[in-house]
Amino acid sequence: MTKQKTRKEGRVAKTSYYATLGPYSLWAMFFILVPLVFVAYYAFTDNNFNFTLEHIQRFFTATSQVIQEDGSSKEVYTYLLIFWRSLKLAVISTLICLVLAYPLAYIMARADAKTQKMFMTIIMIPMWMNFLIRTYAWMTILQDTGILNNFLTFFHLPGVHIIGTEAAVVIGMVYDYLPYMVLPLYSIMAKMDVKLIEAARDLGCNGIGVLRRVIWPLSLPGVINGVTMVLIPSVSTFYISQKLGDGKFFLIGDAIESQYVANNLHFAAAMAFILMVVLLVCMGFMQFFTNRHVEGGK
Amino acid sequence: MKKIIELKNITKSFDGEQPVLDNIDLDIYSNEFLTLLGPSGCGKTTLLRLIGGFETPDAGDIIFLGERINNVPPYKRNVNTVFQKYALFPHLNVFDNVAFPLKEKKVPKEEIEEKVHEMLSLVALKGFEKRSVTRLSGGQQQRVAIARALISHPQVLLLDEPLGALDLKLRKDMQVELKKIQKQTGITFIFVTHDQEEALSMSDTVVVMSEGKIHQIGTPVDIYNEPVNAFVADFIGESNILDGVMLEDYKVRFSGQTFHCLDKEFMKNEPVDVVVRPEDVDIVPVEKGQLTGVVTSVTFMGVHYEIIVDVNGFKWMIQTTDFVDVDERIGIELEPDAIHIMKKSEYSNLYGDYSSFSNELDELSEVEEEDEDE
Repeated sequence: MTKQKTRKEGRVAKTSYYATLGPYSLWAMFFILVPLVFVAYYAFTDNNFNFTLEHIQRFFTATSQVIQEDGSSKEVYTYLLIFWRSLKLAVISTLICLVLAYPLAYIMARADAKTQKMFMTIIMIPMWMNFLIRTYAWMTILQDTGILNNFLTFFHLPGVHIIGTEAAVVIGMVYDYLPYMVLPLYSIMAKMDVKLIEAARDLGCNGIGVLRRVIWPLSLPGVINGVTMVLIPSVSTFYISQKLGDGKFFLIGDAIESQYVANNLHFAAAMAFILMVVLLVCMGFMQFFTNRHVEGGK
Repeated sequence: MKKIIELKNITKSFDGEQPVLDNIDLDIYSNEFLTLLGPSGCGKTTLLRLIGGFETPDAGDIIFLGERINNVPPYKRNVNTVFQKYALFPHLNVFDNVAFPLKEKKVPKEEIEEKVHEMLSLVALKGFEKRSVTRLSGGQQQRVAIARALISHPQVLLLDEPLGALDLKLRKDMQVELKKIQKQTGITFIFVTHDQEEALSMSDTVVVMSEGKIHQIGTPVDIYNEPVNAFVADFIGESNILDGVMLEDYKVRFSGQTFHCLDKEFMKNEPVDVVVRPEDVDIVPVEKGQLTGVVTSVTFMGVHYEIIVDVNGFKWMIQTTDFVDVDERIGIELEPDAIHIMKKSEYSNLYGDYSSFSNELDELSEVEEEDEDE
């Protein structure tokens, strides 16, 4: 009897359930689990595949000289600095995505079906293009003699120097990852009961009150999802920084790539492993936070 | 009694279609339990939303205590709503749901606690403060919604088919309770329903609507005993509606017989609709009957039998506690006060006899109606 109780509704027979589950389990095993094990294995072994913590240590202790603006040089922890920079740019990009996507998702969710479809297409179209091409497009826009500056000079406005700055990298990341923020927010807001908004207005809330006390708390799971979907790829992003940052802002993704290209597989794996652990911890925190919040009333 | 809300020539249509509300005039008094009654699509919910501030009329004025409030937003109106599916905030517990309006007004914490407890005991939900609203039964959610709407002491409470989602037993209990709460608080209740029984048992005033128009405003007794036209007679309770001719004051002829009645001031020989309620028909032996007919069906309803009698081709519905058999020939007698005369209207020929009557069909159409309300 207990077995029947724990069974999910709509599941007909055990055998057919496992039969359909089979292919996905295999897929997950070969393309998710096995590669993860390999990453961990490479991270903790040396070139002869003997156990070592050397690579993990190197990540935390390797130092190098950087030339500061006043010409003097300073010793820094190379990879910790890169990691910190990646995290900083990723957080900034994620926040900008959230600020841009939140009102957009709300407007979309409240629009009529036809407008919703149109918005959706506009948001999806850039995703059909290759990400390298998108990055190159931003280069031509942001260059000192690029489209943006030509436009500004045409109207006799002072030009701006963006390419090669952190701002350019952030612009590139926001552009690339904005859809991943909009979609989860939109889907949760489209499901939100309009009656709840009406109820809040009925009970004395003006527009800001409704947003603060009803829409925002109810959309939190979507916010968490969107933040996760944007933060993780933008922390590990590469190439955007090389092209739009003029190679001046080496990010952790670039570091992993360059070690990999240089055939330092074990150190690349160690960096990937550390990054993964940090992200998993972050996600765990966020999940805990949402669960507690959604349960409510406790 | 003090007029609290006046609706003047209210017209409203959506997307340029047929008006949902067509030139509505209605006065609502303080301390009144008023019910807007009508089939789905008659505009009753739209009328409620206009008063709540969720819609604005295309034409006409909404006057609240002498002030025009057409464009006043909901949060500035001293009116609260109990929504059809309660619209409780799922992220808040019972206490925070009820306290919601007071927190918006920045009421001090102790006062909020005191008032929430007072409200929760009014709706018999003491001890549920910390419970998540998603873990409450339908009846309990209903009570939270009422407490939340009443806590800021609105002058008018709007209730949009609040009992529609409850089962029959619970619905009956809530009817009694709502009436009690209304008496206790003295707040004007405007209640929307398509359930005529609910409307009759709870209200001080019933407003019968269909197709965006008001047919009749009156006390439940008036509406039931003196319906203004065939639509109201048919919608409220069961009625036998016959074609008749008013011969002179107090004398009406229908079904080939002349009857005494209590109605007057019709033109001589004016064609009229005659309403006879099923429970007002007396069954007598054939030889004593003013009319005679053959019983075609008998249904046991618990308190009484519902029988269908064929009188010269017109099927009457009669409710009686005496048992009669199918195919039996019986006599019918009508006291003058059993007969109600109405002027002919556009609805006159839409509602006739009970030839196609079946309980089952009735219930089916009721379910459909509820679906349409979505």
